[in-house]
Amino acid sequence: MQLDNANPIVFQSAQESFRLGNRDQFILWEDEDKDYVLRDTMEDEPEPIDEQEVFDLIRSISDPEHPLSLEQLAVISASQIKILQNTVHVEFTPTVPHCGLSTLIGLSMRVRLLRSLPNRFKIDIKVKPGSHNSENAVNKQLNDKERVAAALENSALIEVVERCLSTANRRGSVVIESNE
Amino acid sequence: MRSHVGHTDVVWQTAWNPTKPLLASCSADKTVQLYSYTFTSPPLFSVATNISTDHTRTVRSVAWAPSGKALATASFDSNISIWEPSRDESWEDIDAEHIEWECVGTLEGHETECKSVAYSSDGTLLASCSRDKTVWIWEGVSTPKFILFIPTSKGKILVQPDAEFECLGVLMHHTQDIKHVAWHPKEQILASASYDDTINLYVDDPDDDWYPVAKLIGHTSTVWCISWSPCGNYFTSSSDDLTVRIWIRVKETRGDRWDCIKILKEHERPIYSVTWGKGQSGKDSLGWIASTGGDGKIIVWNIMGKGADIETIKLASLEASHGVSDTNSVSWCLHEGMENILASAGDDHTVRIWEVIPV
Repeated sequence: MQLDNANPIVFQSAQESFRLGNRDQFILWEDEDKDYVLRDTMEDEPEPIDEQEVFDLIRSISDPEHPLSLEQLAVISASQIKILQNTVHVEFTPTVPHCGLSTLIGLSMRVRLLRSLPNRFKIDIKVKPGSHNSENAVNKQLNDKERVAAALENSALIEVVERCLSTANRRGSVVIESNE
Repeated sequence: MRSHVGHTDVVWQTAWNPTKPLLASCSADKTVQLYSYTFTSPPLFSVATNISTDHTRTVRSVAWAPSGKALATASFDSNISIWEPSRDESWEDIDAEHIEWECVGTLEGHETECKSVAYSSDGTLLASCSRDKTVWIWEGVSTPKFILFIPTSKGKILVQPDAEFECLGVLMHHTQDIKHVAWHPKEQILASASYDDTINLYVDDPDDDWYPVAKLIGHTSTVWCISWSPCGNYFTSSSDDLTVRIWIRVKETRGDRWDCIKILKEHERPIYSVTWGKGQSGKDSLGWIASTGGDGKIIVWNIMGKGADIETIKLASLEASHGVSDTNSVSWCLHEGMENILASAGDDHTVRIWEVIPV
């Protein structure tokens, strides 16, 4: 297969997240009684969903053509996520301006967020202005709910999306091994 | 307001039967639900039938024939199905609640997801549209049973001996997906709304084929839906550009012109559906428009005036019509005396019924 971007620049992942999973580890250091109290509190008052949480959900999604995460390819970064009330706005940067896989990357992020976020959130996904030759076309397709719904009924496409999402729950904590 | 859960997935659209107290809804769960209702105030709804359909993907659109005796479904599986009562009782005597519906024909022709289907005002024609950028016009050769023809490169071939629908034309005048088709309430004029941001209007050339008489430019993003005014002199369109527009027909010697005379900007997310009903504001009113979309808001306007000089008076605005979910469709009840009843369909798997009450 001809790769759209055969030699992508790989970036160092940002510090791994200190949320949820990691906090649980801290709790284990406390004495047992306190541990239970803390856990109860956490269940009663769920942590509000913020930009960091959304970033953690999508940073480890694999790129469709490289064994690297979207974060490692600098396709997404925490600063490109904005939450305004119940709208999550994700901006991403395709590795090359002619990247034909941009819609697939966007679709993978959308599926991940649809599955993970409470359904009160509306999700807007757009490429960074100026970062793609067909910016409007990509944005339009990614935010057309009917097209997205139809795409999600396409089993071949879903299979590719699932492959990209298979690493998504690493939340930035594990570096994906590269080929050989 | 009443909420009806029956579907197990996103509900895309609802359609009121023009002659019987029946409401149909279609869903990503591949089924069509039929609800019967009472002519009381407020009407009481109950589930009449569930048609499991033979569609293999989302049923995106549902439409009744003007007689009420046939139902068309359009699916992402690219097919259209036609449903009729399975028993040979006279339509007038038949009890709406107990009709069993059987598939009398499948119209195959579109290459990709079919997104909308609509019957012409006299019921003789059916239009469908798809992501394949085409509008198909089908002619039904009515009763007792149909024979279906499919146009191919080798001419028309017989597909299903039970139902007859002949394709009169394949219209390729949009550059992108076509989201919705809507027939004029009295004449054979068809409107189509597209992902290419435009609206096309088509008429039949008696000596030739169907052809586009106008391409309307104005919306700056996908046009999701079109609804004609009951008088037929106007229609309204809704779009991803967050506007609802009202267009007027201007008769000229060389043919008709269509002008945008109103732009309503009240929604915050894409406007998936718009419906223009008779309303209940007396004879000086051009009817009521309701719109809804990704923001879940339903807005109702009374349209007053004459010619291009019209006024839009906001009658009602309702937030979160389907909770936190998107609302995909609104449609006015067609039954006389119930023009203030509205059905909506949402991503929350429900169909909801609303009554607009003057305060």
